[in-house]
Parts: sequence; C-alpha cells; structure tokens
Amino acid sequence: MRLSALGVRNVLRNRARTVLTILGVAVAIVAFMALRTVLTSWTEAVNHAAKDRIATRHKITFVMTLPKRYVDDVRSTPGVVKATFSNWFGGQNPKNENEFFATIAVEPQSFLEVFDEIQVPADQRESWLQNRRGAVVGDVLAKKFGWKVGDRVTLKGTIYPGNWEFDISGIYTATRRSVDRSTFWFHWDYLNESVDARSKDQIGWIAARIDKPEAAAQIAKRIDTHFDEKDIQTLSMSERALNTSFLGMFTTVLKAMDVVSIVILLIMMLILGNTIAMGVRERTNEYGVLRAIGFLPKHIALFVVGEAITIGALGGLVGILLSYPLVENGIGRWLEENMGGFFPYFRIADGTTVAAALLSLGLGALAAAIPAYRASKLDVIDALRRIG
Amino acid sequence: MIPISYNVRSLFVRKATTIATALGIALVVFVLASSLMLSAGIERTMGRSGSPSNAIVLRKGSDAELSSNFESRLVSLILAAPGVKKDETGAPLGAGEVMVVVALEKIGDEPGRVSNVQVRGVTDNVLKVRPEARVIVGRAPKPGSDEAMIGKSIRGRFAGVDLDSSFELKKNRRVKVVGVFEAQGSSSESEIWTDIDTLRNSLGREGLVSSVTARLESDSKATFDAFSATVQNDKQLGLEALRQSTYFEKSSENTAVFISALGISITVIFSLGAIIGAVITMYAAVAQRQREIGTLRALGFSRLTILSSFLLESVVLALVGGVVGGLAALCMSFVRFSMMNFATWSEIVFSFEPTVPIIVTSIVVGAVMGVLGGVFPAVRAARVSPIDAMRA
Repeated sequence: MRLSALGVRNVLRNRARTVLTILGVAVAIVAFMALRTVLTSWTEAVNHAAKDRIATRHKITFVMTLPKRYVDDVRSTPGVVKATFSNWFGGQNPKNENEFFATIAVEPQSFLEVFDEIQVPADQRESWLQNRRGAVVGDVLAKKFGWKVGDRVTLKGTIYPGNWEFDISGIYTATRRSVDRSTFWFHWDYLNESVDARSKDQIGWIAARIDKPEAAAQIAKRIDTHFDEKDIQTLSMSERALNTSFLGMFTTVLKAMDVVSIVILLIMMLILGNTIAMGVRERTNEYGVLRAIGFLPKHIALFVVGEAITIGALGGLVGILLSYPLVENGIGRWLEENMGGFFPYFRIADGTTVAAALLSLGLGALAAAIPAYRASKLDVIDALRRIG
Repeated sequence: MIPISYNVRSLFVRKATTIATALGIALVVFVLASSLMLSAGIERTMGRSGSPSNAIVLRKGSDAELSSNFESRLVSLILAAPGVKKDETGAPLGAGEVMVVVALEKIGDEPGRVSNVQVRGVTDNVLKVRPEARVIVGRAPKPGSDEAMIGKSIRGRFAGVDLDSSFELKKNRRVKVVGVFEAQGSSSESEIWTDIDTLRNSLGREGLVSSVTARLESDSKATFDAFSATVQNDKQLGLEALRQSTYFEKSSENTAVFISALGISITVIFSLGAIIGAVITMYAAVAQRQREIGTLRALGFSRLTILSSFLLESVVLALVGGVVGGLAALCMSFVRFSMMNFATWSEIVFSFEPTVPIIVTSIVVGAVMGVLGGVFPAVRAARVSPIDAMRA
C-alpha cells in the first residue's frame, strides 16, 4: 500500500472524531469566507467606481451647497465632456421612517447621460423626463416598499421640511456593481421651485464625465483652481477617490474584521491540531511497530501530515460548499436589500474561495507539524513499551 | 462524589490537548467580550452625551442636528419658555448652536486621507450650558475670535487639530486651536468647538442656527412637558423639543446596533467551532479513560456521579479558557477605535468599555460552551459498563 494512502486511511479510524473535526473546519471556513466577503464586497464599490467621473463639492463641508452656476464653469473646463448636478434631499418614507434610503434631486437628462450605467426602460425614461413630479427608484427599493410604476408616493423631507408628493415614473437597474439599487431620484427643478429664497439655485455636488480617466487628478485640480478665486471653494476628486475616502472612515472596522478572520483560522488550526495530536498519541504503539520494521521517521511524519491535510481538505470542501448558499443567499440578500449603500453587490469573490481552499490545506499541514515532528522523533523502544 | 482534583489532574496529564481546547474557547470569549465592550463604549460615548435634564430643540421633521436649521431670532423665544434654568445673573442657561461637518486631512497612521469632523459653533456660555465639559489644556476661545478648542479624542488625529495649530474654515481664514477639553467620555470629545459667529460667517450661514440646547430646572417629566409644550405650541415656528438623552439614544442606535450585530454573529459562528473542539477533546478523554471509568463504576460510583464528573471537567476546561479570554479582552480597554457615526457622517472615537456584567457574561458563555461540548461525551462515559471496561 502506498504510504500516503495509509495516511488517508487513518482518517477513517475514528469516524465520529473525523466527522466532528471536518465540521469544525467547515464552520471556520464558512466564517472566514463570510468575513472576507464582507471585506471584498465593501471594497467592491471602490473597485467598480467609475474612474472617468469627477465629483465636485463644497471644499469645507458637504453640508453646504454650491451655486448652480458652478455647473456651467465645470462644463467649460478643458477635459470635461459632460456634467450634471445633484442635491441630497434626505427624504423618509412616512410609513417606515427607520428605513434609510438615499433620496437625491437630479437634472434627469444630464444625469442619465453622465451616469450611463443606470438603466431605465425607454418608455419609463420618457415619462420621467416629461413629469416634473416623476421619480425613478431602484429595483431593490421598489420591492421593499412595494412601489410600482405609476404609484403616487409621499416622502417626508428631513432637510426640506414638509410632505412631498412624487409619481414613480420608472424603476432602474444597474450595469455596474458599485451602484446602490435603493436610491430615489427625482427632478431637481421640482425641489428648486418649492424651496425658500435662501435655498434657491443651490446644488449639493457636481458630477462630471471626463475624456481621459488617467487625467482625473489634473482635471480635478483644474476645477478646484478655477473656483479657488471665487467666494466658495471646491473640492474635486474622482469617484473612486471619493469612495476610498468614504471607506477610510471605516478603516478600523475593516482592520478589526481582518484580524477576526485570522483568529477564526487560528481556532480552526487548534481544532485540527488537537485531533491530530490525539490520534498520534493513541497510535504511538503502531508508530513504534512501523519504525521497528524499517520505516523511517520521515515516513511517520508523512502519515501524520497526510491525515491532517485530508481532514483539512474535506473540511475546506464542506465549508466552501456551505458558504455559497449561506453567504450569498442568506446574509447577502439581506445586506443588499438593507445596506445597499455599503454592499451593493454581496457575492463571494473567486479569490476568497481559492484562499479558503489553500488555507484549509496549508493550515491542516501546519497544524500537524508539531504532532508529526513528535511522532517522527519517537524512540522505537519507548514507543513499543508505551501503553496507549 | 468524585473529587474535582481528579478532573483537574486529568486535564494536566493531557497538557497539549487541554491548552489547545482552552485556547479555542479563550479566543471565542475574547471576541465576544471585545465586541460587547465596544458596543458598551459606543453607548457610553453617545449616552453620556445626553442628560435627561437637558433639552434640545430642532426644526420639526429633521432627525439630526446636521439636517436641522432655523432662524436665530427663535433662540430667545425658546429660551424664554418655562422650565429653562437661569444662572446667577438671571440669564437662561441655554444657547443656539450651529453644527457642521468639515473635511480635514487625517494624520498619524493614515496620512493623506480626508475624513469628516464635527464642528460646533458655540456661544460664550458653552461651558455653563454643557457643564460636563472642562478645559484641560490651554484655555477656552475668546468670544468673537477665530479661535477654537478641540475634544481630547481627536487631538492630533487631523492636520491642524492640535494645540497651537490651525485649520481652515474658509480660504485664508484660519482658526487657531487654543484649548483642549474633555467631556466625561461623551461624543463631544470628538468635536471641535468654535465661536458661533466665526463658523457662520465663514460658511455663509448668518442668521441661522442648527439647534438650541437648554438646561432645564429638573429632569422631571412635568418640567420637560411644560417646556416642550411651549416650544411646540406655535405651529408656525415648526420646532420640536427632545430630551437630550432621547436624542442621543436615537442617533447612536444605528452605530451601536451595527457593531453589536457584527460582533454577535461572529461570536455565534466562532462558538460553534469552539464547542466542536470541546466535544472532540472530551470524547477523547472519555475514550482514553474507559478503564478508569469502569473502575470508578466498580467502586460504586453511580452513573449520575460519573456524568456530572465529566461534565464538570469540561466546564473547568471551558472556564480556564473563558477567564484567559476575558483577561485578554480587558487589555482592549487601552485601545481606541474610530468609526463613522451614521448619524453625522463624521468620525467619532470610541473606547472599549469593560464592565463587570460584560466580563461575567463572557465567562459564563465560555462555561456554557463547556457544558454543551461536554454533555454528549459525559453521557457516553456514564454508559460505560464496568465489566466491559475493565476487561478491555
């Protein structure tokens, strides 16, 4: 019998323990993959953010607005192809005030040109452009509140007081993974005509499409330099840089999750190493016999490591197979619906699966290192004399 | 009763296995205790920010200071409402304040990154209106000057946010930091306080305030109700009064829930792993000691005694792990944790807050894992037939 096959066979000796260990490894792998997926899909929004768009906001604080005429200046900046503008509205659904979703006032025509990953069916798009009270909402949001095209909905304004009525003109989907599918977009004109004099012709931020993504930094600088001499200065950066800086506020949380995902691997190694060590202790006699009939220490070590890798691989496999339904359908669906702003696309990355598979093998071998070393260093006489 | 020293010695005999299992449980307890400590820290930071005898007035419908604004002329009307405490000169203890978040560049471990900081425009009686705040270094800013004081939590975390440094509120208008204050660990310690007019003028917000904070004569319901009735009575004003404590509870809810949910779901998965580890260890312990168990049974110890003895062994094992994990978690109280506050989109610094109930809970959870992991192996031990076992 081949040596490695013997190692694998040892796995079947204490079935209850093997099954438990595999389960333990599988649980750890599920936890590891879930945590990693939180990390990767959180950063997904950054990686998939457009590189050819620049956002311009008030330099000091996003609470303050910019004069609307700034858009024309941005449009005439060399390198800028198109530009649009938006206002954060801060609306709440009065029927469910705790449910957070973004409500943004936009200029529909230019908005759909600049954000071309937003897909609205042609007829709905047409009716949105025609209807001043029209709004376009994400499919996830529409599903959550049971809104259909043609519905009239009322939102409560937290920044702009009062109740605001809208007609749902369309439902959008997105071709880019970084898009939150729970946003509510409506006509900026509708907002502007109803606010007091102080808030008239004010916009929250400007989004500009540029011709060369690699020149994003220079064009952003060009815009800021232009406004530097005006009464309100601006801060411009590419959409990707903007998302990165937003993510920066969660650096500590991300770091903590990183640490925790390593801790779970440690627990996995402890469980696996424990099982292997117990097996080795029970089989001390056998190893003595094997050594006595001429097997070398490295062969003994190979048995032990082979067994550990087999258990690790099986546990890893079970864990990965369990992760897909659990992470993508269970946690993932909930997060996409409720925290779409953070997790617009919650899916296990291929890299995570590969890492989980490699780690379950590698850490299995590593966990076996001490027991394997001990087993190979056994003195033949002692081993034969010892009673399990 | 089998003496407990029997179990303890058995654990000592198999040192490596005992350590591995206890360490597994220790890690679970550590993670659980740390996340509970962090949510307690968040609640403390936000909770202590609000006193039940203070009231905050916002524009009706706005859910946070950040989205609220109304005309400054309403401030004196609000402060004239019944129940507002007066100082020795008879002036009401309350003030209209402006709250904005400002983008500043981070320094220290993440240089170059821009993050949001809360800046509060305060009046010169701020230390009377917010008695929990106390200047610990330097001095309070002079009224009407371009000076600021900073909360001790954010000192040195952002460019220009340190004593004798300065940051920009408008082009060519730098605000100099002249003091550092502490506020009993509340969220104010993550804020910058400047003169209200300096802030308003730099941002073009003249004539507006975000909120009014007033100290009331008592925290009784009657006092607050009288105050809020007067403030809310005039529908034209469109104002809403809240107890400060209620306001902060509401605004910290999301952040605390986020951390607790994250921490607890991680702990549940982790403890599954650790319970499995304990089951494996205890099964092996039972299997190895068949003979011993048989002997004990032959000596006349009942099945129940054997069962409880092995269960006890498992619990002792788990408790060792639990205590180690709990102690390790205590070390986390030296760590500071900065995160985005969902209510203000700005950064706030939390600490891990160790409390006796948290540490006790975590160790108890560890012991429960010992019980769960030990129960099946212990049942198996109790089933050992003395004759078979001694013959084996």
